[in-house]
Amino acid sequence: TSSQSWGDVMKQGMEIFNEKAGCGACHVLKHAGSEGNIGPNLDTSKDSKDVAYVKDMVQNGLGVMPAFGEDGILTPEEVDIVSKYVANVAGK
Amino acid sequence: MPKKQNINSSRRNFLAGSATVAGAAAAASVMPISIANANHTAADAKGLPSWTSWKKRSALIIHSDKGMETHRDAIGESVITPLRHVYIRNNMPTMSDAQIGNRNNWKLKVEGVKNPKTYTLAQLKQLAQRTEATVLQCSGNGRGFFAHKPRGSQWETGAAANLIWTGCPVSAIVKDCGGVVSGAKFMTSAGADMPKELDPKKALVERSVPIKAHKDALVAWEVNGVAIPNSHGGPLRMITPGYFGINNVKHIGKLAFTAKESSVKYMKSSYRISPIGKKGSQYPSCWEMPVKSWITSPLKSAKSGNVVVSGVAMGGTRKASSIKVSVDGGKSWKSAKFTGPDMGKFAWRRFVFETKLKPGTYKIVSKASAGGKSQPKLRMENRRGYLHNGWLDHGVDVTVS
Repeated sequence: TSSQSWGDVMKQGMEIFNEKAGCGACHVLKHAGSEGNIGPNLDTSKDSKDVAYVKDMVQNGLGVMPAFGEDGILTPEEVDIVSKYVANVAGK
Repeated sequence: MPKKQNINSSRRNFLAGSATVAGAAAAASVMPISIANANHTAADAKGLPSWTSWKKRSALIIHSDKGMETHRDAIGESVITPLRHVYIRNNMPTMSDAQIGNRNNWKLKVEGVKNPKTYTLAQLKQLAQRTEATVLQCSGNGRGFFAHKPRGSQWETGAAANLIWTGCPVSAIVKDCGGVVSGAKFMTSAGADMPKELDPKKALVERSVPIKAHKDALVAWEVNGVAIPNSHGGPLRMITPGYFGINNVKHIGKLAFTAKESSVKYMKSSYRISPIGKKGSQYPSCWEMPVKSWITSPLKSAKSGNVVVSGVAMGGTRKASSIKVSVDGGKSWKSAKFTGPDMGKFAWRRFVFETKLKPGTYKIVSKASAGGKSQPKLRMENRRGYLHNGWLDHGVDVTVS
């Protein structure tokens, strides 16, 4: 993602969040306009501003949450982008 | 289910367009927003979610709106944990009153017995009753002490509570249904809380425990003197005394006696105790709880002179038989004494240790024994940070002045 601007990363991150990965179906994230209620609210969760933690979750899943990286739902680059996006906008 | 009309169009497209690879693979996470929104609130976002707003905020550490831990000093000194202080760990959204309807009409389907039946809660109340005190503890309680930072809520000591349940003994249900079918090796409980649009293989909270556990098990409707709140799995919850929290299935709708363990993700791959870097259903499931104790006071500081060290000790499926305390990090141990009522082997005991301490710093630790086993010094390293009962990590560093 080194060739991308931060703005591109955020824009693409929101798209992955809402469209390809469908994170919003299960999570609240005000910045993305999502109101899902299966998993934790990402705006108030203690760990959602920690990009390493978010990436670990997106990569490996937990409980009902799919392993988006490990199961090949997202590319490694997409895992990276959506994780950066979530950690950056959580609570904003 | 409540209907919601203002569906975000991009999300609608996503839901409709799930024929993509991503959509198909992520199907477990896809659900109509009408259901996803049930019970949700954005109000008081930093505080308690509305579906459990009756909790005492100051007694809880909020990890997320799905995971709340009791502060180490907030389990009280009365053996039983006040319900407003009790932790919450949700795998599915808590059911609303509207979804539950008339509590007495809640249904429990029983299978894997000679005469399968469906009971209403009202019928269960008339079949048989038993009251039991049990420790309810999340499998990951103590995860926050693991050095490799496993995924999941970073619980320290507070994903545990000692509670009094009243319900119908599972043994009475089995008897009323003519006994279990031959070949049954597991008691399998399923929650009724999974939104229907999800894939049961990935999202159904269905847990199997060895069939011997049914002898102690209850399907409970009351906790600490009140109807089990929705957020704790009411109106009916499986209680498997001595077994980790996940096996105490919330909002139970089906009870079955099965030859095999459930094949859902929550049984097959989640809650498995595997080495770091490994996973799979060949590893043991989080079932019986091991012996464990921790200090609840003092936690950081104390005045020199007489100091009362207190805490709780549990034996899992065996009675906690003794408790020792060390004020020098485990170099020397002295017996502490249990205080308060003995509520049976599945409950925890409160312990006190009266000592004299001079000004200085102390590593105070506790070590319980049950069934001939004592707590180990160190945690058992494992991928997901389950079953922590090592005494060293659970110790407290206290400054006496």
